Amino acid sequence: MVVKQETKSMTGNDAVSYAALFAKPDVIAAYPITPQTTIVENLSRFVDEGKLDAEFIIVESEHSALAACMGAAWSGVRTFTATSSQGLLYMAENVFWTGYGRLPIIMPVVNRCLAPGWNIWPDFQDSMAFRDAGWIQMYTKNNQEVFDTTLQAFKITESKDIALPSMPCLDGFVISHTTGQVDLPDPEDAFEFVGPYDDPVIELDVENPWAYGSMTGPDQYSKHRRDLMVAMERAKKKIVDVHKEFEERFGRSYGNGLVEPYGDDEADLTLVTLGTIGDEAHEAIDRLKAEGHNVNALRVRTFRPFPVEDIVEFAKKNHKLVVIDRAASFGHDGPLRIEVEAVLKRHNVDTSVSGKIMGLGGEDVPYSAIIDLVKKELKE
Amino acid sequence: MIEIIQISRGGSGGVTGAKILAEAAMYEGLDAQAIPKYGSERRGAAVEAYVRFNNAPIRIHSPVYDPNHAMILDISLLDRIDISKVDQDGVIVINSKEVPEELKGTGRKVAYVDATGISQELGLVLSGFTLVNMTMLGAFVKGTELISFENLEKAIRNYWGELAPKNVEAAKRAYEETKVVRV
Repeated sequence: MVVKQETKSMTGNDAVSYAALFAKPDVIAAYPITPQTTIVENLSRFVDEGKLDAEFIIVESEHSALAACMGAAWSGVRTFTATSSQGLLYMAENVFWTGYGRLPIIMPVVNRCLAPGWNIWPDFQDSMAFRDAGWIQMYTKNNQEVFDTTLQAFKITESKDIALPSMPCLDGFVISHTTGQVDLPDPEDAFEFVGPYDDPVIELDVENPWAYGSMTGPDQYSKHRRDLMVAMERAKKKIVDVHKEFEERFGRSYGNGLVEPYGDDEADLTLVTLGTIGDEAHEAIDRLKAEGHNVNALRVRTFRPFPVEDIVEFAKKNHKLVVIDRAASFGHDGPLRIEVEAVLKRHNVDTSVSGKIMGLGGEDVPYSAIIDLVKKELKE
Repeated sequence: MIEIIQISRGGSGGVTGAKILAEAAMYEGLDAQAIPKYGSERRGAAVEAYVRFNNAPIRIHSPVYDPNHAMILDISLLDRIDISKVDQDGVIVINSKEVPEELKGTGRKVAYVDATGISQELGLVLSGFTLVNMTMLGAFVKGTELISFENLEKAIRNYWGELAPKNVEAAKRAYEETKVVRV
């Protein structure tokens, strides 16, 4: 049965903050950076006002923020942080430590491009740089999905059979600072969904001392990395299951949790997107359909683990995929397009793939630009 | 879909005003969005914000380019808005004691009120900046008739809590004193 919820007006960063509040993390360590700052402000206020019984560790940098979270995660408690852009880069060493160490930390990344030039607006270059850091990455399309995804992330990440940190991603400003409507459940219902973290993935025990991060030879090292690969594969089903359970309780869904299709099963052209461009693409598709064009879309919600099977299945039914990337792999192409092409090739799907890199450094991607792209691609 | 562009001076509360307007629209049963334009915005600089209302979920995330209505919180910023882009049937809501010379003869619907005067009388001044945001929301509601004053008041009260009375009073006075004319 779907629980009672109340529609509230709030920014995307507020939505992240409520999800964290309701999940009751024991430890938060975070350092402010535009456009993530208001998340840190909200959480420190919640702790100060006594609404959230968490240890809020004040640190001098992002590197230390994640280091503090790593220590907390090792001690077996629910751990939360958030960052963005240059801050994410500054914590790089610990981002890989966390992923390869399988530490269950939730860290929303408010996507902002990287310097130079100095720019605070969104693209996905920051989180894409950490594609291979062993974190689950989910990209969201609006304020509601940010709340829902952050809540789901706790449940996925903290499962003993998964034990992978999560990076829910939200477009800076376009989601983080934009006010929209969010259906909020009662805190108790949200917490009941996440559940207490009483069966920790890892827990330091002073009575039973253990060493972490010691010298590891090739045999053990490669085994750890293969374990991580297998855990990522398992995470796909976990994401689908948690998403399904969420839908039953709260009445909202985003495709199957890995990908969100939009429009007819089969179309002349399919837009493949990430983040808010996916939402804008829905608007473009409805307008194109009204003009008689047959276009559908597949929004990749989960980028790591990559939803290979879902993309293959959707591509088989369609004829032409146009991938919109909001990041670049310099010397090659957009990261989403590269991966989609590789997946289709490997699975012998001959659906054509093209794409365009749009929206770098906050460049606006209105539905009109998506419509223009579709019309151009339909002619080719 | 109703789209609004608002321009203000940083420090006068425009971004907060846009947020509260979106909440008021939500109480009206609409899906609503408020987008602040960030960049080198700071106190005294021109700051834009965009608001959308719709009776279905809003999937557009872009700034507003072709607004139905315009709100100008500081008359010196009138030339920063391309009035020709504002819908012909829309309302130009402006903080001014009278119809600005630039708008006379344009055939436009103008809602004007001395928001600065009202806010200053009520002591809504912070760090030397007159807070005209709530006052101008009262003028907007009067000029456009898109949202009831009751729902605006509800959003103001929810945002400001114990600081609400003066803010509600500012909006109410503007609601009563705003003149709506075809110029």
